[in-house]
Amino acid sequence: MFRLHDVSYAYGGNRAGVAALSHISLDVAQGEFRWLLGPSGAGKSSLLSILSLEVQASAGMVEILGVPVMQARRSNLARLRRRIGTVWQDFRLLPDLSVFDNVALPLRLQHRAEDEIAHEVHAIMKWVGLENRLDARPLQLSGGEQQRVAIARAVIYRPALLLADEPTNALDERQAGRLMAMFHRLAELGTTIVVATHNDAIVEKYPAPAIELAHGHMVRDYR
Amino acid sequence: MARRRYHDGLALHQALPGQFLPFLVAAMSFLAALALAGGIAAHNLSQRWTHGAGAVTTVQVPGPDDPAAGSGTRIAAVQDILTHAPGIVAAHRLSDAELRNLLAPWIEQTGDASLPLPAVIEVHTAAGQDPMSPLLSRLEAIAPGVMVEHDSIWSNRLAALAGSLQACALLAVLIVMTVAVCVVMAATRAGLQTRRQAIVLIHSLGAMDSYISGRFASRVGLLALVGGLGGSLAALPMLLAMSHLAAPFSAMTDAPVLAPVDWRDPRAWADIVPHALLWMLLALPPAAGITGWITTQLTVRAWLRRLP
Repeated sequence: MFRLHDVSYAYGGNRAGVAALSHISLDVAQGEFRWLLGPSGAGKSSLLSILSLEVQASAGMVEILGVPVMQARRSNLARLRRRIGTVWQDFRLLPDLSVFDNVALPLRLQHRAEDEIAHEVHAIMKWVGLENRLDARPLQLSGGEQQRVAIARAVIYRPALLLADEPTNALDERQAGRLMAMFHRLAELGTTIVVATHNDAIVEKYPAPAIELAHGHMVRDYR
Repeated sequence: MARRRYHDGLALHQALPGQFLPFLVAAMSFLAALALAGGIAAHNLSQRWTHGAGAVTTVQVPGPDDPAAGSGTRIAAVQDILTHAPGIVAAHRLSDAELRNLLAPWIEQTGDASLPLPAVIEVHTAAGQDPMSPLLSRLEAIAPGVMVEHDSIWSNRLAALAGSLQACALLAVLIVMTVAVCVVMAATRAGLQTRRQAIVLIHSLGAMDSYISGRFASRVGLLALVGGLGGSLAALPMLLAMSHLAAPFSAMTDAPVLAPVDWRDPRAWADIVPHALLWMLLALPPAAGITGWITTQLTVRAWLRRLP
């Protein structure tokens, strides 16, 4: 599903930049669920940024869903992004679009029919419990509601690889439980999932293989 | 399920407001129209000067019926050379009546109608060519005393001046186009900055560069088309007035009159304004639209290259 070999990443370029990741090697198969653990500044977000194709690794080999990322053409990278869902820590909802339009965005970029989009959006918003807030703007929602909208947008197109950065931060225990159940269901259906968190309680409650980072280095990759 | 309006998050009405860009493009189109009109006017004047009276050379053959150095009469020999020389469009020998009519003021002064007159041949040369100079020695050999008068010296100088004016007009158009391209680039980059958050997001959701640049280019192309149309319409009355005033100088006929015009009749406009100018006014809006579209495509794609 994705393979990293000897991957390094530095903010602001390889030479003068600040090292965020050093010599990371990973091999995660289809349908696996992995926690990505480590304290703040460990490099979790940087690793997710590389996997979500938001940044390019400074060195090493990255292969995602069979595509060698470092050598891929821009158009192939764009197609690859359509198979990767990401829940960002800061949600990244567009404030001038309604909740409906925010969630519909990935499907519209895939040129799906509007009727199909409406059906999908209503179904996923019902699942996250926000079917009554479709016309609201993101800034009219609470932090937890915004997070649920961001999750809905990331999973609506059934990505082959799902990346989530602290997705339970703004959720209460019940909602976090529902989210984890959904993640495990998606993994059973073949979606590879990587969830970054520094919430030890939720990791203990939902045990799964984990990748642990510290100071940009991989400390453990245990299953 | 109620249908919803299509939103892809780019919100181009915010990124590229509909007032600013069309106004600037209209101003540029107006200036380009004036510069192009100047170029077309200079071209027309040049055509008139090189194809009209300026392209006529007069050849005087004294003793036309005397024997030539070879065989036949001098006038026949000269006409034979002129008729077969490359670069000469026509060689017309003035008849006695035409000649006496031409010389009537002088003949009347001398009071001698039997004065021997040379034969006069009016030679029309091809535009931009000087076929007479190489013929002078041959003409002189078969008809000594033959005189050739070029009327093209001044017309050539005026044509050169017209050529310079055309070059200046072209330069002005290029400058206006360059400024217009810079304006479109600046507006597009400002729009990209305004919608940076949305662009980065839809890029990360898998939008192709061609999709984002196409959306921006369509918007800018449309605004530039509207601006070009405005510029053309604004230039039209001024060009009509200028064409009307310049008609005596640019007409291909020698009729230096300012005929009254019915300005309410668009067909009358077509008679005043050179057709090239009308085509130019029609071509200006699509040219502005296409220029805006291409400039935006390149600007957006270059900007997107910053993203991985």
